[in-house]
Amino acid sequence: MATPILICDDSSFARKQMARALPKEWDVSITYAENGEEGVKAIREGKGEVVFLDLTMPIMDGYGALEIIKAEDLPAMVVVVSGDIQPEAMARVKKLGAMDFIKKPIDEAKITQVLTQFGILSP
Amino acid sequence: MSQLPPIELKLTEEQRDCYQEITNVAMGQAADLLARLLEVYVILPIPNVNLLEVTELQMALSAIEDTNSVSSVCQGFIGSGISGEALIIFNDASFEDIAKLMDYHGELTDTVEIELLTEVSSILTGACINGFSTQLDIDFSLGHPVIMGQHCNIAELVKAENKHWKKALAIEINYTIKDYNIDCDLLLLFTEDSLLSLNERISCLL
Repeated sequence: MATPILICDDSSFARKQMARALPKEWDVSITYAENGEEGVKAIREGKGEVVFLDLTMPIMDGYGALEIIKAEDLPAMVVVVSGDIQPEAMARVKKLGAMDFIKKPIDEAKITQVLTQFGILSP
Repeated sequence: MSQLPPIELKLTEEQRDCYQEITNVAMGQAADLLARLLEVYVILPIPNVNLLEVTELQMALSAIEDTNSVSSVCQGFIGSGISGEALIIFNDASFEDIAKLMDYHGELTDTVEIELLTEVSSILTGACINGFSTQLDIDFSLGHPVIMGQHCNIAELVKAENKHWKKALAIEINYTIKDYNIDCDLLLLFTEDSLLSLNERISCLL
């Protein structure tokens, strides 16, 4: 069965880039969200087993979304994909329960590596 | 040969979004450099991307109020048929904290402020332009930084900057530093002549 994945980013260009960077052999059904609020809603609806989450977004940013996912213990494995690559940003999202942190611009190999590492994708 | 009609400069929503995302990544790289150097956290906003008349520049500088006294450095860049200027504007109130973070404890004279201004500007501007050009596969040569003004207001500054070009693609990034009173605006201004080449570059990414 296709894995429900969620791409949450305010930039349509970034959402497209992210979708294109996903491993070709991975069977997924993709849902898109433009901010944290939409993202959390999609996760509650079961559309985000694996979530690729941006940090800097209007309405609700990535940190806000992570807080809710953590507080409500929502079933989502979150990979933060962000241009904010400062040490404090990385530490903060890990603390909020993010599985990993991928730096923008997105590197396809890095995505496959993270997915494999966490057993989401079989090697 | 008939004369070509003037090309109307336009920026579609898709293109604007793309420039915004590229800037987002570039400014993040610059912030990371500064954060590691000064051991701070740089608060990153969503950058503003606009095609504007240079006369509208003052209004675009939303982050710094006209009443504040500012200091500014400008650095030109050119390459691959694209040219522009990076203008960095510091709220003068920022220098006390910048000095503290750079471990300077003496008196804050104008000369010292200019040194601090040049130092921080070159880090932010250099990294940001480098991040931007790398993503678009452009090689930019950077000009020497020029002090545009010290303790002046935005109106004077824009007047000084308002050279020969009318329209510009303006990208505005407002950097603030968490727990410190440091506020600066980095403006990337691309000349109208550059827009065709730039749009061509991003069309490969869209």
